[in-house]
Amino acid sequence: MRRAVSVISVMAIAMSAGATAVADAPASAKASPQGDTWASIAKLPDWSGVWDFDYRSGGGLARPAPPHLTPEAQKKLEAYREAQKHGEEQQTTTANCVPPGMPQIMQQPYPVEFLFTPGKVTVAIEAYSQMRRIFTDGRKLPEDPDPSFQGYSVGHWEGDTLVVETVGLLDNSQLAPGVGHSDQAKVLERIRRISPETLEVQQTITDPKTLSEPWVSVHRYQRHKDWDIKEYICDQNNRDSADEKGRAGIDIEKR
Amino acid sequence: MKSLLRGPALAGALLATLGMTGAAVAHHSTAMFDMQHTVKVTGTITQFDWTNPHTFIFMDVPNDKGGVDHWGIEGMSPNYLSRNGWSRHTLKAGDKVEMQVHLLKDGRKGGFCSTVTLPDGKVMANLPQRPGGASAPAAEKGGGGKSPY
Repeated sequence: MRRAVSVISVMAIAMSAGATAVADAPASAKASPQGDTWASIAKLPDWSGVWDFDYRSGGGLARPAPPHLTPEAQKKLEAYREAQKHGEEQQTTTANCVPPGMPQIMQQPYPVEFLFTPGKVTVAIEAYSQMRRIFTDGRKLPEDPDPSFQGYSVGHWEGDTLVVETVGLLDNSQLAPGVGHSDQAKVLERIRRISPETLEVQQTITDPKTLSEPWVSVHRYQRHKDWDIKEYICDQNNRDSADEKGRAGIDIEKR
Repeated sequence: MKSLLRGPALAGALLATLGMTGAAVAHHSTAMFDMQHTVKVTGTITQFDWTNPHTFIFMDVPNDKGGVDHWGIEGMSPNYLSRNGWSRHTLKAGDKVEMQVHLLKDGRKGGFCSTVTLPDGKVMANLPQRPGGASAPAAEKGGGGKSPY
């Protein structure tokens, strides 16, 4: 009994120490409490193997409640839906092999892999052969990042949860079909393993110009320890296309 | 000889489940295909492209004028298919196969592959199939951005 109590106390002390360190997370590049050295990486949760986006199960998790839009964004969505009735907006530029960017790049029907190195979590993404770099070295988000497909991500560990903030999303990325975003869009991800084989991402998107309230959705991934990330070069033999109005094309003649 | 038979959709449930999720819009939507129905197409493989972002199957299909039509049929990516029992050797030129195809809406001789029955009778699913096989066609809502593929 006494032994059990002491183990719990030690755990409690360890957890509170971790929590304090996170709360105090300073700008200094050396102060990140976990994942900043090889020794601390060994204490991180085991996310080895590759993780396949779970769009078939998970209790409809892959179908989150639609976002609450600002009047301006709602107007754009309605125009998008109207255009669809006329054969436009059927395709995005992904049909032309332009990657979708964050956040949709994390929700593709292809697996992802997490690589831990000191001060950084790298996400290798099979779809479009993409890569995300999440800096966990304690740096702050940049004030005025150059927009990019994956945006600029910083993260920190809260116990077994990787908390990631991403800004600087490129204009052409959509939050959902017909829902774009402004340069103030921010994606917060809380990523943790909820079972040995399941990784869960709680995603909260904020954008005062597009969303009237934060858009929260939950996504899950299933672990496949026997899979590898495969090559995906979209330009290898792409016969699909979207024109400037989003009309769909397909070349079935080329041999 | 009748090479085309309209049949019930075997697949499409998955493609229809996505809707406005903001999720899983991978390479392109299925807007140009009739995802509510499949049609049986029987012919001889002339070329099988085991390439990203999609596999492509070309086949010669006898028509009712005594000639053959050249069909081009899109399939899932090699990445997806190789995790679901396929390989680059699954189809080869000269194979006589029967295929369930979601036809192109524009009337050309092409579509998206649902299943292929190989010369030895083995059925290979290209799209995920509904449990229990054939079922009522899945309703397809909205337009662009609904397909994971």
